[in-house]
Amino acid sequence: MGRDSIESLGAVIRQGNGSADLARIPTVDAPLGVLADTTPSSRSVGLYIHVPFCTKRCFYCSFNTAPLEHDDEMRRYVGALRRELGLLATTSWAAAVSLETVFFGGGTPSLLGPDDMAGILDELRARLALSPAAEITVECNPESVSRDKLAAYRQAGVNRISLGVQSLDDSILPVLGRLHDAGGARRAFEAVREAGFDNASVDLMYGLPHQAADTWTRSVSGVLAWEPEHLSAYGLTLDAGSLWAVTGVEGLPGEGAVVEQYWALARAAQARGFEHYEISNYARPGFRSRHNQIYWHAAEYLACGPGACGFVGDVRYGNVKPVTRYCATLESGALPIDTAERLTERQRVGERLILGLRLVDGVPRAWLDERAAGDTGLARRLAAWREAGVLAEHDDRVALTESGFLVSDSVFVDLL
Amino acid sequence: MSLSRIRNFSIVAHIDHGKSTLADRLLSLTGTMDAKKAVDQVLDSMDLERERGITIKAHTVRLLYRAGDGQEYTLNLIDTPGHVDFSYEVSRALAACEGAILIIDAAQGIEAQTLANFYLAADAGLTIVPVINKIDLPAADVEGTREQITEVLDLDGTEALAISAKHGTGVPEVLEAIVARIPAPPGDLEAPLKALVFDSYYDSYQGVVVYVRLRDGRVRPGMRILLMSNGRTYEVQQVGVFSPDMRPVEELSAGQVGYITASIKRVADAKVGETITEALRPAAEPFPGYRDAKPMVFAGLYPIEDTEYEALRDALEKLRLNDPAFNFEPETSLALGYGFRCGFLGMLHMEIVQERLEREFNLSLIITAPSVQYRVLTTAGEVLDIDNPSKLPAPDRIEQMEEPYVHSSVYVPTEFMTAIYKLAQEKRGEHRSLEYLGKRVHIRFDFPLAEIVVDFYDKLKSISKGYASFDYEFADFRPSELVKLDILLNGDPVDALSVIVHRDKAYERGKALVEKLRGVIPRQLFEVAIQAAIGSRVIARETVKAMGKNVTAKCYGGDITRKRKLLERQKEGKKRMKQVGKVEVPQEAFLSVLKS
Repeated sequence: MGRDSIESLGAVIRQGNGSADLARIPTVDAPLGVLADTTPSSRSVGLYIHVPFCTKRCFYCSFNTAPLEHDDEMRRYVGALRRELGLLATTSWAAAVSLETVFFGGGTPSLLGPDDMAGILDELRARLALSPAAEITVECNPESVSRDKLAAYRQAGVNRISLGVQSLDDSILPVLGRLHDAGGARRAFEAVREAGFDNASVDLMYGLPHQAADTWTRSVSGVLAWEPEHLSAYGLTLDAGSLWAVTGVEGLPGEGAVVEQYWALARAAQARGFEHYEISNYARPGFRSRHNQIYWHAAEYLACGPGACGFVGDVRYGNVKPVTRYCATLESGALPIDTAERLTERQRVGERLILGLRLVDGVPRAWLDERAAGDTGLARRLAAWREAGVLAEHDDRVALTESGFLVSDSVFVDLL
Repeated sequence: MSLSRIRNFSIVAHIDHGKSTLADRLLSLTGTMDAKKAVDQVLDSMDLERERGITIKAHTVRLLYRAGDGQEYTLNLIDTPGHVDFSYEVSRALAACEGAILIIDAAQGIEAQTLANFYLAADAGLTIVPVINKIDLPAADVEGTREQITEVLDLDGTEALAISAKHGTGVPEVLEAIVARIPAPPGDLEAPLKALVFDSYYDSYQGVVVYVRLRDGRVRPGMRILLMSNGRTYEVQQVGVFSPDMRPVEELSAGQVGYITASIKRVADAKVGETITEALRPAAEPFPGYRDAKPMVFAGLYPIEDTEYEALRDALEKLRLNDPAFNFEPETSLALGYGFRCGFLGMLHMEIVQERLEREFNLSLIITAPSVQYRVLTTAGEVLDIDNPSKLPAPDRIEQMEEPYVHSSVYVPTEFMTAIYKLAQEKRGEHRSLEYLGKRVHIRFDFPLAEIVVDFYDKLKSISKGYASFDYEFADFRPSELVKLDILLNGDPVDALSVIVHRDKAYERGKALVEKLRGVIPRQLFEVAIQAAIGSRVIARETVKAMGKNVTAKCYGGDITRKRKLLERQKEGKKRMKQVGKVEVPQEAFLSVLKS
């Protein structure tokens, strides 16, 4: 089975040489693994770079993180990352794609020194085609940024900052395991502006232990007063892999209270001119996260860094998670890809649904109608969600309503 | 073959006392087949049987044995089913034997099933050969076990054989004892053919394969036979023995055990208990005790996906080929759509059919609450048989309702009498008689069938620590104060959840039901009110709160695969749900009706 739809998707790149069922893990002899067997469908892709290090792991966090104990570890990681960029550049298709977004996520990417940041971005420009208009975001923790560091980031090419504030309540922040306080968060945001960034996002969390309705609304209005361009607000979940998933946590607000917090934020953000463009994301017009929209549009992105995930052609893949194995694999000359799967057509459709419907723009109505035409069950389920006010149609698209966002997982399970 | 060189026997034992191991040994010692293969092929050949540790179908195997007297004997081992739902099948299989080996574990002594099985065999008039097994165990107490046999079973304990089936010790003596102690079958080789059917199954090549024990006469291919219960005649195609695979022989004669094929199309035409004779020269009368196995419990079977209706019908038809005790006819339910009303011998039988449909035919099913068949006399003077509560006429059209009663027999050690009477009272039992038989009693009760079909047997076994044995047969219909209990979801009655209950139990039952349903119906976008009602009177209510939120805030760092897999797993779980009106009701909700 070849990827015969490649032309229709407008790709200019020749097909990879491997068999389509193969999802090869790289070896020293075949250092690109599955990335030699697949090609991007699109000329423009995103790039996610995972910076795993944290001074301290937050109690709710389930991501791939590692403590930073010696400067050597950072040095080795940065070296490996540059090798990874170099290897990606050797794929047959690398020269034909341009990077439209770069996102440094973590971990705590703001632990990268200004020189390392510049070195990584320079390497990137030297090896791959970085679009001049690319959105380059760095996630920062308030306690690890300064005006000078941010200015240096900006000098290196970073043009968007995402600040992990989470809360402005000094009694809650230490409960989460965060290292900053409300004052520190505010000063960090000021530093972002002073460094010259005109595109800044703030992360908040709700549904937190002992979080009363008024402390939440104070955090929301406090952050909105800073006038960021973008706001992400995540309801707390006790994900597998987090400390709290194991130990449990006391004082979680009830479901009704969490739903109320969701609406309080939605109302406040709307009043300030934000659009609620994704389940957990708000933006001023023109400031949606370009990088995250790549995920939600089921578009393609490359991955660098331990545990980072990528999507190329019809292949979803993930890098090895442990930092030392990640470094060692690259030092041996192979890409550190650990898992890879080729999506079936059914999975692709499923993903377009569960990702597209996260957005206020939803999915094209014609596309959905076409799916429902061959599947009476799907048509019936769609009608039921519409009738329940969870799905709505506007223009030529079908999307979740703002109250529908709250039960989106039920919809996704139903439509998959 | 001379009758004097045939022995027909079964092996009975408490679970784990070594029945399979001894059967193995007997097979390998007589060179019938290698031991490992024997267990796999001969005993408990259905997966379900092995998993549940019960025998559902009878099995049989012929052993050829040269005894100490220098003569060669044919020993037919007939294995019997072991559950009250199949007690009729057990009685027929035992009727095909003259003797039974009763195995008792030397370390554990006489246990509940030892007794229950002993009584069954003794009541069938079989000669019992007690065998004390596992004498190799450090905890073995052979002498103590002998005393128990004398005291509890009223057999001569000193005559019990002491063996280790595992090591083979004493097993040759078992073979000798079978020859020496179990009587040769009675019978007349020259009389007209008279054979008892003790099992049968459908084979797609040969038609029905009928397991028979010949009492008189002979049968060979080409002979015209008559089935005495239904008057049908057939020409015999093949006769044979199990050794243990089917092996054709020229002739079966009086005293022998084997099979007959005669192009019989349906198992229902050659049922267990049937008497086969010669068409031209019929036997004077059939074997006593033939009983048409009638379904006692009825339930609706519905595919979860409407598209599986045809597949379900095909599967039911295939199952019925082999199982005449089970029947079905199409029915529709407002809540569940198109399905079938099926009749079963009992709950175990129902569970077996359900499991086979799901496992062997890969169907996802909903079973509605089981019901017995009620008799309704309407004000218009009609008599209706109602096996589906939703078909019950409106109360103002009912003149009188009757429910089926059974005569039952309980054998139990005296120490459990009080507990048994208490249970009987709970189950609306009517005491008929009490008889002391040494250390045990025989109590007869009449029960409403509805009270005993669901969990009575399990409860009886539990309160008697397994020692009680239980058997029942249909008695008659008796007038009863019955009401229909409806379950409503958001005000709409769900016909598939309705049950007919005795008025005195309606409130308690309704309350238990809605509580149970609240626990199994998942939260939906809207609140779900669950009500139990008799007519328009609501007697119990519970609420499943509306789902406030179900959302994943974040697909972090583009790890879409993890998220998709999580949702796909939830999707799998959802496939077991049936949409009833707007409410999604999981499969177990329908079964919870019977277990509350």
